[in-house]
Amino acid sequence: MLNDQGWLLTVALFLPLAGAGLMAVMPSRADVLIRRTAVVLTGLAFAVVVVITAGFDFGDAGALQYETTVGWIDAIGARYHLGIDGISLPLFFLTYLLTFLCAIYTTKHLPEPGKPKGFLALMMLLQTGMAGTFVAFDLVLFFVFWELVLVPMYFMIGIWGGPRREYASVKFFLYTLFGSVFMLVAFLSIYFAARETVTNPWDIVELTQAAGFGSSTFQTWAFLGIFLGFAIKVPMWPFHTWLPDAHTEAPTVGSVLLAGVLLKMGTYGFIRIALPILPDGAMRFAPLIGVLAVIGIIYGSLCCIAQSDVKRLIAFSSVGHMGFVMLGIASMTETGIQAALYGNIAHGVVTGMLFFLAGSLHERYHTRDIATIGGGMLVKMPRYGALLVYVSMASLGLPGLAGFWGEFTALWAARSPAEALVADGYSGLYLALVIGGAVGTVLTAGYFLWLLQRVGLGRPTGKWVEAKLADVMTIEWVSWTPLLLLILAMGVAPVIIFGVQDAAVADLVRSFTP
Amino acid sequence: MEQLLDYAWLVVALPFAAAVLIGAFGKLMPLKGSEIGIAAVFVAWLISLGIGGYTFVNGPIEAVESSLTWAPMGSGFEIQLGQYVDGLTAMMLVLVTTVSLGVQLYSREYMHGEERFTYFFAMLSLFTFSMLVLVVANNTLQAVVGWELVGLCSFLLIGFYWHEKPNQDAANKAFLTTKFADIGLIVGVIVLSAGVAQTGSSTPFDIETTIDAAMGGELSTATIVLGCLMIFLGAVGKSGQMPLHVWLPDAMAGPTPVSALIHAATMVTAGVFLVARLYPVFAQSLVVMNTVAIVGVITLFFAGFVALVQDDIKKVLAYSTVSQLGYMMAALGVGGYTAGIFHLFTHGFFKALLFLGSGSLIHAVHSNNMSDMGGMRKYMPWTFATFIIGSLALAGFPLTAGFFSKDEVLVAAQIWGDAGFTMGTVVFWLGLAGAAVTTFYMARACFLIFFGEHRGVHHAAVPTHDEHADEHTVVEHAVEAEEAEAAAHDHAGAVSSTDGHDVHHGSPHESGWQILVPLVMLAVLSFPVGFAGGFLWDEVGGSTERNFETWTATHDIEETTYPFAAAAEAGAEGGEAEEGHALAGADGEVLAAGALAAEGGEEHGESLHVLHGAPEFHLDVFVYALIAFLVAVGGAWVIYGRGMPARDPTFRLGPVTTLLVNKYYFDDLGYRFVVVPVRDKLSPAASWTSNVVIDGIVKRVGGAAKRLGAVTYTTLDQKVIDGGINGAAFSAAWWSDKLRRIQSGDVQRYAGALLAGTIVLVLVFSAAR
Repeated sequence: MLNDQGWLLTVALFLPLAGAGLMAVMPSRADVLIRRTAVVLTGLAFAVVVVITAGFDFGDAGALQYETTVGWIDAIGARYHLGIDGISLPLFFLTYLLTFLCAIYTTKHLPEPGKPKGFLALMMLLQTGMAGTFVAFDLVLFFVFWELVLVPMYFMIGIWGGPRREYASVKFFLYTLFGSVFMLVAFLSIYFAARETVTNPWDIVELTQAAGFGSSTFQTWAFLGIFLGFAIKVPMWPFHTWLPDAHTEAPTVGSVLLAGVLLKMGTYGFIRIALPILPDGAMRFAPLIGVLAVIGIIYGSLCCIAQSDVKRLIAFSSVGHMGFVMLGIASMTETGIQAALYGNIAHGVVTGMLFFLAGSLHERYHTRDIATIGGGMLVKMPRYGALLVYVSMASLGLPGLAGFWGEFTALWAARSPAEALVADGYSGLYLALVIGGAVGTVLTAGYFLWLLQRVGLGRPTGKWVEAKLADVMTIEWVSWTPLLLLILAMGVAPVIIFGVQDAAVADLVRSFTP
Repeated sequence: MEQLLDYAWLVVALPFAAAVLIGAFGKLMPLKGSEIGIAAVFVAWLISLGIGGYTFVNGPIEAVESSLTWAPMGSGFEIQLGQYVDGLTAMMLVLVTTVSLGVQLYSREYMHGEERFTYFFAMLSLFTFSMLVLVVANNTLQAVVGWELVGLCSFLLIGFYWHEKPNQDAANKAFLTTKFADIGLIVGVIVLSAGVAQTGSSTPFDIETTIDAAMGGELSTATIVLGCLMIFLGAVGKSGQMPLHVWLPDAMAGPTPVSALIHAATMVTAGVFLVARLYPVFAQSLVVMNTVAIVGVITLFFAGFVALVQDDIKKVLAYSTVSQLGYMMAALGVGGYTAGIFHLFTHGFFKALLFLGSGSLIHAVHSNNMSDMGGMRKYMPWTFATFIIGSLALAGFPLTAGFFSKDEVLVAAQIWGDAGFTMGTVVFWLGLAGAAVTTFYMARACFLIFFGEHRGVHHAAVPTHDEHADEHTVVEHAVEAEEAEAAAHDHAGAVSSTDGHDVHHGSPHESGWQILVPLVMLAVLSFPVGFAGGFLWDEVGGSTERNFETWTATHDIEETTYPFAAAAEAGAEGGEAEEGHALAGADGEVLAAGALAAEGGEEHGESLHVLHGAPEFHLDVFVYALIAFLVAVGGAWVIYGRGMPARDPTFRLGPVTTLLVNKYYFDDLGYRFVVVPVRDKLSPAASWTSNVVIDGIVKRVGGAAKRLGAVTYTTLDQKVIDGGINGAAFSAAWWSDKLRRIQSGDVQRYAGALLAGTIVLVLVFSAAR
């Protein structure tokens, strides 16, 4: 069987790292060659992941496949433990797909100061970090990958970003690091608490099986630590303020990967680590998470209405959408976690696509200010305008496109949260959360329609009447089509995500609920 | 024939395939894609007729249900994709495909020469598909999918002329108003299905399962009441019930065929349909029933009056649609299941006819305004004849479709009232009054359009008829006229490139066959669709065993009883029902039982348990309705019979006119108290708190860290340590240097800080354990 070939995962994981090394030794004059090499390398990595996906046993999606376990840092008992199951696979796949598409996009588009060598090397380093978090099953290894992501993204924003790039990049780095510190402390405390009962106290699988260790107080405090780390990454309200700055200043590819993958590391962490290992703490925090999630949904949407910059608007929309993901988690049920993971992927695809569009918008108009653009995009660039309508509809949760299922099932799950929560009398609170979330969908529709009206509809005004604006270019079609199709496919056939995750989520939830 | 029912999904799939094909190849086809749409819906129409015929002849049939698993959603629950074919579904299939076929044929001529002709046909097919997804849904989640998709198509088609701001605004208003109502739909569906899930079903959205659970008493009263009221909120938005009807008149900004198909015959009835679909659940609670009836009766009564002060023919028809949707909803609310959907059915035909007729007129006159028409019967005899038939049907003239269905609504209300429910009586009398208003505004429209002399488009002349009215009214009316003009743009766009039609000052002439065929088809159909459900059905060769009732009744409907009515009966039989006794009734039905006992209805007709009684002829209803009709037509003739009066009396009613012209101020209230606060107050405030308050805290923490670093360096390091122990290896200088350079982003040092911080915190943590 293919799916016991653990080395495949290692190859997929470190191919981009090797690629980054290769980039580093290439002469920086070879601009075009570097860009094409990056496409080949990320394409190769994506091909390996396609093979991994093809060999994945979907009938046994709950089990860890392509598993590798070797000793790593013996002094503290940390091991190199990789594996992939139905929860990891879609995120892992998305990481490679998005990076590949970003590499294609970069062959034509790269902001000042150019230098594709450094940019693409960082992007591939980033890829290894992102992918690693989704397949690492050792807390130390997970943490290494988690932190590895910060460095390349910091430089991507800091060097290739917009006018306020230095501020945004430092804020991104320090804010996330601030959360990671608490998370690391919590990991250490888990290690010490589990040491007596668990053979490998860094191992996520073993810790999950031993779930429920430690006192109630311990679980609460440890969860709080992990919560801070992940909540900042998601980001949950009120820890979201790094996000609009980072997104607004980041180069297009940075924004796509930030929205498409980086934010998912936080929600993935909740589902993979925080919930199963600290179920009591999670149950205690669930209502709070739910409330913060719904505040995030409504608050994020309101902020979107007030934005004047297209990219900042999309950035704030992430706060709302990730709110739905967290609401799913807050229900502490299988359906809720299914919803959260679905929302994760959907948001990655849809918002990643929106950031591509925002980037190309800037390339053409040289501004992202809604009032300056002033409408008429459908006249000047009909295809581009149609794509913006299409992806906006997906983002506002139209059934038949990707955004709907995650939102609806999250709301559904919040109506029937875990029995322990009902027993504690949270039923009414969760009903209020359902209604609040539903209100958020209306606000979401509101800001997207208003955006479309102001930039897309009407007739071009001012200097745009005569301006030459290129419609969607070939390279853009190539790098966008997979995402556009995925948006439709996920909406029409939600089973392609729900079906893959089902068994894994069932196993996960069973492990921590009686 | 029976196997045909298994292929109902084909009716859904065909328009979808058409939409895709038109989108992909439409522009390459000789008729620019319209032939694909028409061919697909024609086949779908034939299949629908087959299904309709079978279910009619054999009705009421056991629903034929089939489904496949769309996706698992955790905990063993399934999302299904399926079809549920019974008489109600069949009726809707026939209605939707018939009107869609007529409208598509009509659009070939009406939209001729449009730049985005192909896109328009793709959208019509996509809409038809979406509506049918809703119609055949075997589960509420699929219904939500169809429901949202028809909303999207409606949005895209209202905004078909998106170059103009009023059209954009109308499209956004429609989408957002209905989306607001969809809070209710979503929450309602979730509440009901979560309730069903608790009964152990793995398919919580399944409609049959939901109905069984509700009728079997497995759902708590709170679940039923909350679920139904919330779903009803969704229906209020979609089906233009007050006060969320505000989007529907504005939606007339779309091309007229769209108004006929989406905003008259099909989409706007989705709310009524969904309530009918879940009727056995709604029937469990008197609170729910009364809410439906009250909203319906308010809508039917008040919307009609606004039509009296409209000059734009499409606006007249739009308010008329709102009012008729009110009849449907009110009928459902007073136990008239069959009456409600019967009116839905007949209304679909004659209102589509009226809209298409108005399109034919607009096409000829180049204006939406009735003040620009007049004397049209001479120029457009076919349009005249068919429009009059439609108007008579809407007004409920005897033997037309609207007569039978409106009659049945009133009869249902009367029976409900006789059973001791006050709402029945209210619906009866207000329904009767509403019928008179309906007749009056339709008679006014017909006289203004077809009688007198042709006035032609003289924009300056528009407000003349009310120049003596009070100033406010004039101003408001002028604004209305401007809006109407903007709405009329669709026509101008359609005409500008139509060869031979762009002579603005020639006398108007009759439309071509592609417009007339659908008009005649719908006009002819306006009769049998009424007879099929009316009390005269067996007189004209039909059978009382086989009529609209038996067609659309389902087994669930036949078995449905009103628990609150039973409680009332028990209460009444027990003599003077004390409060305590009523409270001791079935749990949760306290309010219903109590209210009934208080009303003390003595007559409990056997019809109480029969929601869909055979067509009955109530002579008194017939006489009342006929009197209302004659008085209204007579009144309209006196005022408008000789063409446009110099002073339209509906504009001379002082404050009443002001109120009506301003549409009861609902639009203003919505804008002033919902849109403005959210868009201009709340959103900037949220953005401000994010940028200033929350981010301010973050920045302050960062700043404090920097200052701490500086202090550490100057005070602790330079003065204390440096003055004492010189050159400590892990010195504070290192720290302060790092902190001072926070803005420089020296990444390697963060790792050091991370490690050090971690060690400290671990020590703290271990000590705490």
